[in-house]
Formats: sequence, structure tokens, C-alpha cells
Amino acid sequence: MKKTFLQLLTLTLLAGCSADQPRTPQQVLAQPWAQVENAGRQQPVSMVMWQGDPLINRYMTGYVKPEMKRRYGIDLQLAAGQGAGLVQTLAAEQAAGQHSEADVVWINGETFYQLRQVDALLGPFVDKLPNARYLDLQNSFINTDFQQPVAGMECPWGNVQFTVIYDSARVSRPPRSFAELPAYVRAHPGQFTIPNEFTGMTLLKSWMISLSDNPALFQGKFDEAVYRKWSGELWRVLNASKPYFWKQGRTFPEQLAPLHQLFANGEVAFTFSCNDAEVDNKRNQGVFPATARAYVPAPGTIQNSHYLGIVRGARHPEAALLLVNFLISPEAQLKKMDPNVWGDHTVLNLAALPAAQRRQFEQLPTRRYAPRRETIQNLALPEPDPEYMTRLFKDFRTEVLEK
Amino acid sequence: MALDIRRFFSTTLLGGYGLLVLGLPLAGLGYALLGSLGLAGPLAAGFTPRYWLALGANAGLLYSALFSTWVALVSVGVSVALALSLVLRAQPTLRRWPLPGLLYVPLLLPALVLAFCLFQLLSGAGWLARLSYGLEWIGSPADFPELVQDSAGLGIILAQVLLTFPFLTLLLQAIYQESRLDELRQLSSTLGASAGQFRGRVAVPLLLRRAAPTLLLNFIATLGAYDVPLLLGRPHPQMLSVFVATRQQFDLRELPMGYLAGFLVALGLLALIGILIKLTRRHAL
Amino acid sequence: MHSRLLIGLLMLLFGLPFGLLGLLALAQGWHFPQALPPAYSLAALRTLGAADSELLAGLGRSLLLAGTVALLATAGGFGVARAVARSRWSRQWEAASYLPYALPPVLLATLVQPFIIRLQLSGSGGGVVLGLLLVALPFATLLLRSFWSVQAREYEQLARTLGCSARQAFGRVLLPLAWPLLRTTLFQTFLLAWFDFGLTNVLSVGKVRTLTVQVFSYVGEANTALAAVASLLLVLPPALLLGLNRTALWRRPG
Repeated sequence: MKKTFLQLLTLTLLAGCSADQPRTPQQVLAQPWAQVENAGRQQPVSMVMWQGDPLINRYMTGYVKPEMKRRYGIDLQLAAGQGAGLVQTLAAEQAAGQHSEADVVWINGETFYQLRQVDALLGPFVDKLPNARYLDLQNSFINTDFQQPVAGMECPWGNVQFTVIYDSARVSRPPRSFAELPAYVRAHPGQFTIPNEFTGMTLLKSWMISLSDNPALFQGKFDEAVYRKWSGELWRVLNASKPYFWKQGRTFPEQLAPLHQLFANGEVAFTFSCNDAEVDNKRNQGVFPATARAYVPAPGTIQNSHYLGIVRGARHPEAALLLVNFLISPEAQLKKMDPNVWGDHTVLNLAALPAAQRRQFEQLPTRRYAPRRETIQNLALPEPDPEYMTRLFKDFRTEVLEK
Repeated sequence: MALDIRRFFSTTLLGGYGLLVLGLPLAGLGYALLGSLGLAGPLAAGFTPRYWLALGANAGLLYSALFSTWVALVSVGVSVALALSLVLRAQPTLRRWPLPGLLYVPLLLPALVLAFCLFQLLSGAGWLARLSYGLEWIGSPADFPELVQDSAGLGIILAQVLLTFPFLTLLLQAIYQESRLDELRQLSSTLGASAGQFRGRVAVPLLLRRAAPTLLLNFIATLGAYDVPLLLGRPHPQMLSVFVATRQQFDLRELPMGYLAGFLVALGLLALIGILIKLTRRHAL
Repeated sequence: MHSRLLIGLLMLLFGLPFGLLGLLALAQGWHFPQALPPAYSLAALRTLGAADSELLAGLGRSLLLAGTVALLATAGGFGVARAVARSRWSRQWEAASYLPYALPPVLLATLVQPFIIRLQLSGSGGGVVLGLLLVALPFATLLLRSFWSVQAREYEQLARTLGCSARQAFGRVLLPLAWPLLRTTLFQTFLLAWFDFGLTNVLSVGKVRTLTVQVFSYVGEANTALAAVASLLLVLPPALLLGLNRTALWRRPG
């Protein structure tokens, strides 16, 4: 009896494995663009993305999805997923030698690094895209993702800088630098907390770099000694201020949206965003009070880009290429940059655009509550190696959260 | 001949059933074990006892298990106490409109929805806090007592109790009627026993004994609860299911640790299920 | 007096979530410390009317998934329960049925996920159905096990001696006899699949956006109005079932 089970189990598993193999990246990318366009039409394409923001979701479902349908007859399907969970799924599909459930993935930093480690990305493909000629690939904040050269394996999609958001009705003089932050928190208890997720970790990275007073230390590969020294300093500062955090620092929000809600309800006076224009879009939606403002504390915060990758085992690689090409088109980038739509800064080099289109970018409804890009560009820090983020996330739990 | 075919059909059916309900979970358990030893999974690099050894240094799993046990014990305990007191003390009300129907209402709510409602009701800026502000009992959300995402798991316990106690009341009430406890009560009072004696020595032991398998099943379900603690719990301490499911958020290299946690938790729960099966046998159907 | 107090208290306790969901679904810009929404809007409810409504699609998906699971589990469970009743290892089979049914669904999902991926079912409705059947089928088997008693067997034999064919005996005698229990099993397995969030979310890799998955993602993006509408949609079918048949909502296995 037991033997039959085992045989049956093996049979089922074998049946699952014998399906058709994906084509190699070379085969896919060898096609001329016209052929890509033909093969991609009328296909479904599945994109895996972080779905934690209603405006971003609306941009994708309300604008990109119908446009893809209209232009190419492509049926865009969106799925939630990010980080190691995404890498795990793609790696398992890759190991089984089968097609992936995902075609396009929205990634950066450590996810890009891990996906390259398990060789789950198709590429280099960026050169292939007709709209790639507009990309600002000379900009080191765009061509380098967490110290890794992008090398055509992922396509830039948007560029953002970390900002601190505060309620000017409750905070008349916010701390202008990371150095002033602990004293401020001590004088105004219960108003500050750190979200235990991506945005919070970006805050911690910026804070750690500011403690070192030497951003150059965090360039290049992960350095254990540098990390130990300055993360140790960071935990010391955080733990000393912790009793003055929201709920006496006994707990921290697990996601960004709940922190935004705490901010909207006046439970805390500060929230954060990895997107410098988010204060405008949240304010326009009526989620944040009219008195919400954003700024970049000295000596600066992290500016990074986010990217689109194509999965090596994608079922519809041509449709995926068409989608990415559309997402970096001047129209789609312009729409995305509008604070009323999303407010994500473009990755295009405006100088390379035709004059009419350049003007449209320059005449966008200006940000009213966020700092202007020109004023924060000199306060931009490059992303350090992804390992810093991974370690901070792990150690924040053991050194601060669980203490 | 016909009998043989039927026998063959029945064996195949059972074989397929076994493959699904035993084969797949056990294969998963085996895979998790291999994963925790570095022998399976996306970044597997060959045998290593590293993750098992690291378990000693990492109290996270143990702490999670203790916290889950606490939540499950209190939730089931409070639910049983509530259900027992309703069944034993409010018998006439239980039989009258609208009570039996009313008790079905919480069964309409998925755990996730109940958790969402409780958060909206009980958080620092929730509806009760707003009423308290209106009544000038509190001056800001920070003054409102921590009822959800608190360190003792009060919010989770409350949600679990709301989900469990109406169900248990219905269960105990059914047993009460099946076992003709009302007649027994009258009999024992004729024989001179007080109402308290009847409840303590006859009714409670009988009800609890007959409900024991369901209670244990409920206990196991609460131990492994996921939806409620996901919304009403804290990042620390976490309940077991959340702990296992969030082990792999940032770093793929943490995955073997996730496999290990999953393996151990599943093993622990299986031991409890073993006890459950013994219990069911003893108080067979 | 005592009894009215109790009833009032329970009504308040159980009614509160529904009232709150209704308010949240209609509220606009409702922040602390306002006890009632400053403005009402039908915007969230109106999304239901849109042609490409994600919520309506979710409702359809949930209904389809839960319906499929209920049918497969009940039909399968009826057959398996019969085979279990007649097996030499009847007790062992019963014990085995508790294994997947008692493990937490999320844990079960994480354990079987590597195999679901190999079967090329990851992220598909089929994978979710298979995962849910892992729980629903043993549950149905345990529920229906009690039907296949010696008595049922005797009825079947009696029908056969009186000249019924095997099919007639099944269709005219056994099925009507089992119908009340089968109906309960259908409802119960439907609800089991309908209420599930963890297993679906893990096995579907976020792609099969059922109503519970949507509730969770709307809560995650702090979109309370849509989360409330999705929650109300989730409560609807069980409420209908409650109206149809009260006992269908509640039954212990074994």
C-alpha cells in the first residue's frame, strides 16, 4: 500500500516536471524589435509588484492596464509580491526548470542582488527597448542600484528620495538634522516611531551614515567592521531615545500605511516616505492634514531608484518587453510624475526629450508641500550595499525591537 | 467480479486520499527538514547543522511558542467559562428567541474581518477612543488603554473569544440537551443536592468531558491562528504562524531558519493532534 | 430583567462590527477625534458598479473557488467516508484525516508550496483549490463518516434484495437518507474555503485575489472604506446560508 503511494507521488511529480522548457534569454533577445512587437501582441503579461499604496495601484490598473490593452491588446495582470518571498518563488520555479508565473517584477536593491544570485533575470535587455534612449543612464543614482551596476539586467522606472513628513500644526520647528533628532524626541515624547519595514530601514541607513559623518565609508562592498561600528552607535542612540518614542518604544508599526494612519489621526507627529513627493499626493487625497510638510534632514538622506526586471523563465517575454518599454515612455513617465497621480520622479534625461515633451515635464503641477528636487539633490546619499539593509533589518529586531 | 472492481475502486480512492492528505503534508514536512539542513531550497549549498545549532542561541521560536500557548490557553479558557455560565445559568434565556439565532451571528464573520473591526473599534484612534475623547475621558490617543497590538495579546484574545465562545455555547447547549441534563438536575434536586453541587459535580464534568475533543481542536486552532494576530498582534512577541510566515521577509539566507521553524511547529502540533485522536477514541462518537 | 440585559449585551456586542463596517464603508475623511464621519460618500460602494470592479471580480472568484471546493470535498468525502468505513484500517484512516485538518492552514500551505510549484499550480486557482481540498476533504470525510454506519449498509442491502440496482439503491435510498448531512457538509466546506485567507494568500503568491485577500491588502494600504465594503461582501453569503438553514453553520466533526 505504502509503496503505491510513493509510486503515485513520484509519477505526479514527474508529470509536473515534463512540461515545456522556457527559451533561453539569447533566443528571446535575438529577435528584432518589430518581431518582439508582433509576438507580444494579444498576450497576457503578469507583473509582480508591491501593492501597498492605493495611488500606485490606481496608476497601474486605471492607466497602464487599459493603455496596454489599447496599444497592443495585452492583458496586464497584477500580483502582489516583493522581497525574499518573490525571490524564493522565482528560484523554486527556476530550479524546477519551468516557466514562471511572473513576467515582469518591480524590484531594487537586495531583491535585484538575490535574483541575480539565483540567475532568475532575463537580460541584458534594456538596450533592446526603443525608449531606452531617453533614460538618464549617466546619473549614478540611476545606473547603480545599491552599489551594483544595473548593466541592462533591470530597467530604471522611477527615482525617489527619502523624506521626513511632519505636521506643521503640531511641530513648529522640526529637527533640521539627524544630530538634533534625539534631543527633539526627548523633548516631545510619544510623537516619533520607526516603521519596521523598507521605509524604516531606509531611515535607519540614512541615520547610520549621518552618525559616521563620512558617507564615503559606505561606498563599495559591504564592510563588516564599518557596519559593526556604526550600527552599534545607531543602536546606542536609538535605545537611549526609545522610551520617548510612540508607546514608549515598546512596539513599532509593521507597515508604512498604519504609520501614515497614526499620523493622519494625530497619534504621531512624524511619518516618512521613500518618495519625496508623497506628502503632496497624500495631502491631495485628503489622507494627510493640510498642514503636513516634508523635508530632508541634514546631512542628507538616501536617494535611490526602483527598477523593472524581466523574469528569465517568463512565459511572455515579448509582452514583458513591450510593457517595460511603455512604462519608460515619456507619456507614462509624465503621468507617473504628477503628484496627483503618483508623484514618482522620472528616470528620463529631460535634455534628451523633444522640446514639447520636455516642457510638459517642466510644467507639471509643482509640488507644493514637498521640497523641490533642486534643493534636495545636494542632500542625496547613494544607497550602500544591500547587505547593510539586510543586517539592519535583522539587528533592529534583536537590538531594539525585542529589547 | 463486480465485488473485485468495487474493491479496486475503493482501494484506489483510499490510495488517492492518502496521497493527498498524508502524502503531500508529510512530503512537505520532509522537504522542510531537508531545507533546514541545507539540503533543499533555492540557495541550498550542502549539508550543514548550522541552523539547528543556532536554534539554541535564538530564543525567538521558543518565545513565540510560549506566547501562542498563553493566548490559546486564555482564549479557550475564557470561552469555556463564558459558554458554561451561559448554559448552566441562563438555560431559560438560551431557549427563548432571539438567543439561539443570535449566537450564530459571530459565525458569519471571517477571522480577518473581525480583527479589522476590532482594530477600528479599539485602537488608540479607534471608535471607542473617539467616544472617550468626546466624553473628555481622554485628551489624546496616547491616553487610551492599549487594547490591540498590546504586549499581553489582549486584542488577539478578545477576537478569539468572540469567535469561539458562541460556537462553544451552541456545542455545550446541544450536549446539555442530548444528555438530558435538565432531567438530571430535577432528579438531583429531589435527592437533595443543591444547584451548586449539581453544577460542580455533575454538569460541568459531563459537559467538559464530552466537549474535550472539540476544546482541544479549538486550542490547536488558536495556537496556529494567523489572520487575527497578523492584524492585532505586535512584531514582538509574535504568534507561531505569523513567526513562521514572516521569517523570510528580507533575506533569502534566512529561509532555512524558516524551514526549521515550520518543521518544529508542525511536529509540535502533530503531537497535540496525536493526543486529540486518543481522546476522541476514548470518548468515541 | 437579567435575561433582557444579557440579550441586549450580546446584541450590542455582535451588532457593533456590522454597524462599524457600514459607517466605514460610507465615511469620507473620518479621522480622530470625530465620533461620526464628517461626510458620507458612496464612492467606495460605487466601485462595485464599475465594469472592471476588482471587488466584484473578487466576489466571483471567491464564490467559484469556495463552490468548487465544497462540491469536490463533499462528493469526494462521501465516497472516501464509505471506503474508510469498509476498510480494515478504518480507525487508522480516521486518525490520518485529522492530520491536515488540524494543522494551521498557513503552515500547511508553506509546507506543501514547493510541491505545488512543481505541479505548476503555483499562483493558479487550481493550486488554491488543491490546497483547500487538503483541509476540506478530510473535514468532509470526518463529518460524513457517521453516515456509513452498519444501519446504512443494511438499508442498502435491503434495497438490493428488494430488487434495486446498485445505482437505484444509491440514488433512491442512500442519497435521500444522507441528504441532510450532505447539505451540512456542503455548507461547512463552502464556508471553510470562503473564510480562508492564509492558505490562499500563500499558495496563490498574491495572484488569486479572493475577497479575503483583498480585505487584507486594503487594510495594508489603509484604505478602510474599500476594506469595509469587501468585508461586507464577505459576510453576505454566510448570512444567506444562515437564513436558509441555521444548523448548516454549525456542526462538529466526529
